[in-house]
Amino acid sequence: MDSETDLNDVASLSEVSEESATPTSPASKPARKPRNVSATAPVVAAEPVERDIVLRISGLVKRFDDKTAVSGIDLEIAAGSFFGIVGPNGAGKTTTLSMVTGLLRPDAGTVTVHGADVWSDPVVAKRKMGVLPDRLRMFDRLTGAQLLYYSGVLRGLDKATIRIRTADLAAAFGLEDSLNRLVTDYSAGMTKKLALAAAMIHSPRLLVLDEPFESVDPVSAANVIDILQKYVAAGGTIIISSHTMNLIERVCDSVAVIVNGAVLASGPMAEVTAGKTLEEKFVELAGGRKAAEGMEWLHTFSD
Amino acid sequence: MVAHILRLKLTLFVNSFRLSFWQVVGLAVGILYGFASAVFVVAGLVALRFVEVDVARATVIVVGSVVVVVVTVLPLILGTEDALDPRKFGLFGINTTKLSVALIIGAVVSVPAIVITVISLAQLVTWSRDGVSEVLAILSAVLIVATCLLSSRVSTSLAAFLLSTRRARDLAAIFSIIALLALSPVIILVLTIDWRHRGLELLGDAANVLGWTPLGAAWAIPADAAAGNIDDALAKLAIAAGWVVILAIIWRVLVGAMLTTPLRQPHARTYAGLGWFDWFARTPTGAIAARSMTYWFRDSRYGSSLLAIPFIPVFMVIVLAVAGIPLNELALLPLPVICLFLAWFVHNDVAFDNTAIWLHMSTSTIGRADRWGRIIPVLVLGVPLIAVGSVVSAWLFGDWVVLLSLVGVSSSLLLGGLGLSSVASARFPYSTVRPGDSPFSQPQGIGSPASGIQAFTFIAIIFFASPAIVSAALGFIYGSFWHLLALAIGVGVGLIVLTAGTAIGARVYDRRTSELLVFASQN
Repeated sequence: MDSETDLNDVASLSEVSEESATPTSPASKPARKPRNVSATAPVVAAEPVERDIVLRISGLVKRFDDKTAVSGIDLEIAAGSFFGIVGPNGAGKTTTLSMVTGLLRPDAGTVTVHGADVWSDPVVAKRKMGVLPDRLRMFDRLTGAQLLYYSGVLRGLDKATIRIRTADLAAAFGLEDSLNRLVTDYSAGMTKKLALAAAMIHSPRLLVLDEPFESVDPVSAANVIDILQKYVAAGGTIIISSHTMNLIERVCDSVAVIVNGAVLASGPMAEVTAGKTLEEKFVELAGGRKAAEGMEWLHTFSD
Repeated sequence: MVAHILRLKLTLFVNSFRLSFWQVVGLAVGILYGFASAVFVVAGLVALRFVEVDVARATVIVVGSVVVVVVTVLPLILGTEDALDPRKFGLFGINTTKLSVALIIGAVVSVPAIVITVISLAQLVTWSRDGVSEVLAILSAVLIVATCLLSSRVSTSLAAFLLSTRRARDLAAIFSIIALLALSPVIILVLTIDWRHRGLELLGDAANVLGWTPLGAAWAIPADAAAGNIDDALAKLAIAAGWVVILAIIWRVLVGAMLTTPLRQPHARTYAGLGWFDWFARTPTGAIAARSMTYWFRDSRYGSSLLAIPFIPVFMVIVLAVAGIPLNELALLPLPVICLFLAWFVHNDVAFDNTAIWLHMSTSTIGRADRWGRIIPVLVLGVPLIAVGSVVSAWLFGDWVVLLSLVGVSSSLLLGGLGLSSVASARFPYSTVRPGDSPFSQPQGIGSPASGIQAFTFIAIIFFASPAIVSAALGFIYGSFWHLLALAIGVGVGLIVLTAGTAIGARVYDRRTSELLVFASQN
């Protein structure tokens, strides 16, 4: 790996965990304002001078049999942005991110990472990406340490680098005591943290994280968020999907709302929410709110 | 309560047909197989009505005992998910005794239970010889069905309960392979008994013993009565009824215990260091080889095959030895057979990874590294095996000249087989047991039919090794030149197929990685 892509010196990660050793529940913090929305708005349209676009998605389409999962998604994500994708279940978030990361072949459309096309120039494009897929297995008969080593070697890192980064990542994610245990014996949250560590080990320019906080406890989630925010501050770019609106609103500076495989709104957080909370705006856009009628029996208890 | 669970079981049974085409085919074959064997047994039982009492008695008791054993053990081996696991009803707050009764009755709606019921009704025909036997036969039919239902429930639930941790499951899988393999000499022994002359006598002895055990007691009641032994019949009635009561108590206690015991906490073992990763080069190929090696020893799906492969030639040698082929000639057999199966085993290796293969994709691991990484562990096992095994085999055979042919044929099978497996695992993956499932469980999923690909790869490996095999065979007729030729052809063809196979496999892999992941996620 060339040093130029070493945006995020992983050695700094261990400091992060010490800093945030006091449990900071995300809920207890006041909702942090998206940083510098006006100054460094990451979406091109808002900026007169073209900023460095890390990820460009255009015209992405994916059909499964007769069902269209993703119907023409266009997004541009600028360097240094913390980009959130929200959408209801089955909206096509995972399908989109799978195509972005080169795991699923799109029916139409292109994805470029720093100018490298994911499907025609995969080696260059994939080297710049760290990936955390949702609901895909890991090689879980390996120990945590072996899995990190495996990911590191497949990414072309040398032994010494892997050793240092494994130690740092383990400290940052609180995995020190579990590194020598088989991944299959991990809890769901720990598996997620290990997968996240494996996604970061080659210090990529872009992190694509699908549901990174699912089943991760609040303390670990706060630690992970600190790590991710430092990464963004150092110039890294993150795209995450989630259906936890509070979290997306709090950590992301821009957001895209995907419903039925199409982008309904995207841009800087403040523009998309337009004075409401993201959750209110999302429910309004998704339009799936149903009045809870016809369940009167629930109000007459059986004993 | 009982009606609810019965309806639930019926719904589950009907819904099992609403699966993909191949699953329905599999299910239909299973059901057909079950009913075909039932028809066979029923026809036999009816025919026994017209046979003299001693023969009928001995046959019914022995076959009946086997039926009870099969019903008890089969669910353990198949390891299917238990729809009526008592723990699934833990949240409904049902009285434990009621629940245990309801679950037993619910178990009646299953192919094995229906087959057992039909068989137990058929033995009514066998004993329709006199009034007393017939009355006792009705009682015994009830006891047979009760015994079978209860013991299969108890064994299934006990297994699900005790094997709830991953390590316990892995170990159980390995042990059951060993048990099955240990049984094979017994089967051969049984096959070689001189049945024509001593068969009936042996059957009678076995029936006398089994009739006093819980396995055969229920079947023996009307049989003994028909033979005129009312005292024995009543004693066995007591044994059979007592056993049903004991099973019922065990079942009730088990249901109670399962409902109130939380899932066992696995005791996680730790492994220091990087294991095999320290032994292989720090390249993608080396890392994949180390990962593969780790799986060979740590994943019960690989472990059980690794254990089973040496037993296949042992089994063949015993059968052929019984058939009268000299032992020193049979000494030539094991090594090539082991090489054949070792190479063939990895023909679906990518499917074994399931969706974990995404890591290779997102790191843009090249096909060549993936292909070679997966076969290096087999070479690490196989090449020393050929070196040592060929010397041992030739020594046992008693003529050193066959050493050449042995090395030639074995290398051809191993190297060529790995080349062909490299192509097959990238081009024709099929659904297999998922990581962490029992090696015996049926793969759930759609995809191309497995047996065709298995047979095709197997035959292809033998086809590419056939020049070496033919040359070796000629060596036994025309002398050592042909043995030397077998060595040259075997190693040569093996290396060519290995090189070409991995190259083609790598190209296919590079082109199809996305499709491989889509396939895996449907598995």
